[in-house]
Amino acid sequence: MDFLAEGLRRAWALLVAGDSEVYGIALLTLKVAAVATAISCTAGLPLGYFLATRTFWGRRAALTAVNTALAFPTVVVGLLLYGLLSRRGPLGGLGWLYTWQAIVVGDVLLALPIAAALSAAAVQGVDPRVRRTAETLGAGPWRAAWTVAREARFALAAVITAAFGQVVAEIGAAMIVGGNIRGETRTLTTAVALYTAQGDFGLALALGLVLVLLALVVNIALQVLQGRGNA
Amino acid sequence: MLELRAVRHRYEGRVVLDLEQFTLPRTGSVAVVGHNGAGKSTLLRLLALLEAPTEGRVVFDGTAVPRRAPASLRRRVTLVEQRPILFRGTVRENLEYGLRLRDVGRAAVDGLIGDVVERLGLGPLQNRRRHELSDGEVQRVAVARALALRTDVLLLDEPASSADRAAAGALYRALAAERAARPFAVCIASHQLEEAYRWADDIRSLADGRLSPVTPENLFRVDLPAGDGVKHIPVGTITIVVMTDRSGPAVLAVSPTDIFVSREPLPSSARNVLTGRVTGLAIEHRGAGVHVRADMGGVELIAAVTAEAVRDLALTPGGSVVFSFKASAVQVF
Repeated sequence: MDFLAEGLRRAWALLVAGDSEVYGIALLTLKVAAVATAISCTAGLPLGYFLATRTFWGRRAALTAVNTALAFPTVVVGLLLYGLLSRRGPLGGLGWLYTWQAIVVGDVLLALPIAAALSAAAVQGVDPRVRRTAETLGAGPWRAAWTVAREARFALAAVITAAFGQVVAEIGAAMIVGGNIRGETRTLTTAVALYTAQGDFGLALALGLVLVLLALVVNIALQVLQGRGNA
Repeated sequence: MLELRAVRHRYEGRVVLDLEQFTLPRTGSVAVVGHNGAGKSTLLRLLALLEAPTEGRVVFDGTAVPRRAPASLRRRVTLVEQRPILFRGTVRENLEYGLRLRDVGRAAVDGLIGDVVERLGLGPLQNRRRHELSDGEVQRVAVARALALRTDVLLLDEPASSADRAAAGALYRALAAERAARPFAVCIASHQLEEAYRWADDIRSLADGRLSPVTPENLFRVDLPAGDGVKHIPVGTITIVVMTDRSGPAVLAVSPTDIFVSREPLPSSARNVLTGRVTGLAIEHRGAGVHVRADMGGVELIAAVTAEAVRDLALTPGGSVVFSFKASAVQVF
């Protein structure tokens, strides 16, 4: 128990002191998570809406594929991406391996199915009369989609939260394609794993706390936004 | 102006609508009557350009509508569904929805909404939200939301199904006032015949997705002579006694439930006693009721009785039958 208390004390000291390494890692994590969440939701929410509202050949198969992708192991995604981005891989020319961009790509691949599958479920939960009514009142496809999204706003906010949660807590892909390079691709999760392995429990715990705080702050922010648009 | 040509529409392989021709005239008011499941709502959805027919064409002002109707065309038609839904937000925001889509200016929006709010008595409801409204109020707001758009075609699916009698009256009066102010085409689907007779200048009957040549039950177009009180009106080969002060073209309607059925003429206060032959017996209302169809010398009448009465009277197709109803039971529209 002693080492746990000691770890917490150290964590607190690092946080209060504004340790540049801790905050640097936190900022990078936030940047990667924000960019990856933005990309995956920008693509995933419309995709989910499309899957939920359009009838086309292969729709059921597409929904199954997206739902299966929800359970995709993060290390496998990391591995596949590594193959693509490595110098000998088809995307090796980009030179993205071991950069934060590579982590973003991995995170997007993992969060996109979440955004698409959950938003499809959210849209399917909206009364179908909403879209029809919007159309009878003269709405084009975009405006009708916006009207449906407004009705599903709580569920869609939860989708964004879930996507962010996936991205911020992800370690497999970040480790493999990011490489955990200090000051460049070291995110909170990879750092926690590294420092724990090195025996620096206090630093690992401090970073773990930051990770939890980050998730908390983002959740609260989304809830506040939802509250503002209430009723 | 809005037409369906050789339309055959399927849901999951089943034909739900099969119409050689259905035309909605530019300023006409058409009522489509029929039982639940007759295809009324499907017909309205096709006319609203929300769906394209599986086969056949929709023609608007002489031009065929593409399968995905452009918004510019869809904005000339609007539909109020049977169980309408309001969007999130206030009643006022709902009323503004379609006008904002059309980029109508602030002042014009206020004017248009002011008109419908007044017509439909929505003043006190404007700041309410959907969960603060009754079903009847939601229906009224939905009709107002559609009327405010001033479309060329207004389609209403059972517009007064959730309204009480007074509210339904107000709704139809608003519709009449709007039509008097500005010509547009209206098509109302209803299973309440009385409603349909009152508001439409053309009534079409839909059965199993097809236009039925049989006019709805006991409905007669007549020319009423001037004068007050009891009038003897010739209808084909028979005469119907009616009590009305109205004159000129009208529709007489006799509710099937207001007709007494017997084998012999009975002495009673009924002024209309018609003798004829049973042409058909149709079981209604899950076997408890029977529609007795009878030919009164070239004019067909339908009476609704219980299955028990059919047994007691030993009614059979071809057998003789007497229908009696009071002059006051004849409704004039």
